[in-house]
Amino acid sequence: MARIMIVDDAATVRMYHRELVEALGHQVVEAENGIEALEKALGATWDLFLVDVNMPKMDGYRLVREMRSGEDLREVPVVMVSTEAKARDKEQAWAAGANHYLVKPVRPEALQAVVRALAGEAGA
Amino acid sequence: MGLVKRQESGQGAPERERRRHGRAPEDLVRQLADPDPAVRRWAARDLAAHPGAADALADALEGERDPAVRQALLDALAAIGGEAVAERLIPLLRSEDAGLRNGVIEVLQGMPEAVAPRMARLLEDEDPDVRIFAVDICRSLPHPDTPRWLAGLLGRERHVNVVGTAIDVLAEIGGPEELPALRAVAERFADEPFVAFSAKVAIRRIEEGRA
Repeated sequence: MARIMIVDDAATVRMYHRELVEALGHQVVEAENGIEALEKALGATWDLFLVDVNMPKMDGYRLVREMRSGEDLREVPVVMVSTEAKARDKEQAWAAGANHYLVKPVRPEALQAVVRALAGEAGA
Repeated sequence: MGLVKRQESGQGAPERERRRHGRAPEDLVRQLADPDPAVRRWAARDLAAHPGAADALADALEGERDPAVRQALLDALAAIGGEAVAERLIPLLRSEDAGLRNGVIEVLQGMPEAVAPRMARLLEDEDPDVRIFAVDICRSLPHPDTPRWLAGLLGRERHVNVVGTAIDVLAEIGGPEELPALRAVAERFADEPFVAFSAKVAIRRIEEGRA
C-alpha cells in the first residue's frame, strides 16, 4: 500500500481523486493548499503527491519547488493536476519539478494508470 | 481568506531603513522601484494609507517577483479597496503567474461591493480560465447573490472545468434554491464522470443541510 497526498482546494475534486486512488488499495491524505500539504507531510514517508495548480496561500508550482528544495520530499513523485492545458502551464510544471501533468477533468482510468505507474498497486 | 502578516526577520533593520528614506507619498511611490526588496516592501506598506497611490501599487504589482513585496502590495491594495482597485486587479486574472493570480483572487474576495457589479462580465468572459477564477472568487465572496450567479452559470456553461468548479463552490455555499440547477447540469453532463460525481456530492450536502 502506498501513501498518497492529494492537494486541491476543491473538496469535490479531493473526494473524486480519493475514491479513484483508494480503489487501487492506497492510503490517502488530503490537503487544501501547499502550506497544509507541507505541514501534513512532515515526518512521514510518501510515495506520490497529486497536486492542483491554482490554490490559495501556496499554489501548486510553489509547493513542488518547496518539495524539491528540501531533503525529505525531494524524490517523491509529483503529478500536477490542473484545469489549464496550455503548453506554458505544462512547462511551468516541469520547471518546478513535477514528474507528470494531467489536465482536469481527469478520466478515472487515466488517473489510475498514472498512479499505478508512479506508486504501484497495493499488494503488487 | 485572511491576509498573512509577514515577519520582519531576515529583512535587515527595517526601522532604521525606513528612516533613511522619505515618507511623503511621492517618495514612497518612487521607492516601489528601489532595487532593495526591503525598501519596496516598506514603501508598499506605507502607501496603504494613501488611496491615491492605487495605480502606482497596481503598476508595481504587475512586475514584482519578490513574494514578500508582492504580498505587501496586495495588502496595500486590499486596504485601499474600492472600484478603482478592482478595475486594476481584474485584468491580472489573465496573468501566467499562478501566485499573482491567487493573490489577486484573495484581494478581490475581500471587496464584495466593488466585485459584485463586475461579476456578470467575469462569469461570461471568453476565456474559460478567467471564468474559473471568477468562480473561485465567488468561493469566499461575502455577497448574498453568489449562489444565484453560480446557478445561472450552470444553466449556460459548456466548459466542463468551469462547471466542475461552480459545482464545487455550490457544494459549500449553495442552498435548496440551487438544487434544480445542480440536477439539470448533472443530466446535461451525464457522460462526464467528474461532473456526475461532484453534482451528486453537492446535492447530497445541500439536502443533508436542509434535513
